[in-house]
Amino acid sequence: MAERKDFGENDGVIHYELQEFKLFEPLFKWARKKSLWIVAFCTGCGGIEMPPLATARYDFERFGIMPNPAPRMGDLFLITGYVTPKTLKRIIITYEMMQDPKYLLAHGSCPINGGVYWDSYNVVKQLDKYIPIDVAIAGCMPRPEAVMDGIMEIMRKIERGEADGWKRYRENYEYYRRNQDKLFGEGWREKEAKRWLAWI
Amino acid sequence: MDMNGKMREEKVEETKLPDTKEGKLVKALIEKASYAEGSVRRERRVEFNVPAERIHDFLELASETFEMLMQISVVDWLKEGEFEVVYQLWSVSEGAHAFVRTRISREDAKLPTVMDIWPVAETYEREAHEFFGIIFEGNPRLGPFILEPREYEKHPLRKDFNMLSYVKAIYGDDFDRYDESKTNYVI
Repeated sequence: MAERKDFGENDGVIHYELQEFKLFEPLFKWARKKSLWIVAFCTGCGGIEMPPLATARYDFERFGIMPNPAPRMGDLFLITGYVTPKTLKRIIITYEMMQDPKYLLAHGSCPINGGVYWDSYNVVKQLDKYIPIDVAIAGCMPRPEAVMDGIMEIMRKIERGEADGWKRYRENYEYYRRNQDKLFGEGWREKEAKRWLAWI
Repeated sequence: MDMNGKMREEKVEETKLPDTKEGKLVKALIEKASYAEGSVRRERRVEFNVPAERIHDFLELASETFEMLMQISVVDWLKEGEFEVVYQLWSVSEGAHAFVRTRISREDAKLPTVMDIWPVAETYEREAHEFFGIIFEGNPRLGPFILEPREYEKHPLRKDFNMLSYVKAIYGDDFDRYDESKTNYVI
């Protein structure tokens, strides 16, 4: 934040909503709530709960949720299970590629505290230390009803303006960055980016 | 002497191979390789125990009937101080699955590579090398493979790898399985 001080005016605080749009904020919130496009990052066992969620029985498209191939167009990032350090690198890069506002829904107990992999050398214990989670669904593995409930919860939170993980990520970026660098070592982004360049 | 010979004969009588497809398979292989022991576990499953210094000869011989290498798995016997390396072979022509077991000491874990018999062994040997630290002599690509570089040196699937202290060093020690009052162990 040191270089931002030259700008003076904001004192490092970033304002996301333009003053002119304040009037339309309820409309935007409703629109965001009703058009969640998902980036389904099918890690772990929750990927198997996605097909019943998408098909006729639970059918999340009636809530305006749509599977979406590109993180640039996504709003809702589903992390469907345990996260290894290697996956976490991809998750962080994908999360940062998404446009604001973006929401993150973590399935199951593994992203919360490691779950059954609590003493595994290769599973990240608290995902919240590395990227902000908006809603976490407990369970191993949550059934589609529970996932549906989590999605309803995130919609309620968006309406109330409480789903602010993307703001928290910006405001506390140094904290998240410090934790990420501690896990992966300094300069991991540059190394990863070099490997990704061929596909981007 | 005579007695001993008789005893051995009786024992051979007891562990005689069954008169099935699997028994014939094992018998044919054992006749060619007298250093190996073979047995039939059940239908379509056969087992061989081979000393480590002859493993390459045996696998070369076995590859005539067992055309496919499915997997190389390793068991860490900490008390015995040994690794048990299991080559799992599949015979497409006979429809039989063979476990070829061999034991090597944990301190000096070295085996010849079988890449010249099955080129696919390269990946399995790299995996066994990374997780257990077994050196397959002749495999050109041994080295860091799947894990993070810091885990490569530690061989995390060895039984004497202290998982919990490593986890606490990497992910922070603010997680445990106690409840909020730190009195009850939760799981």
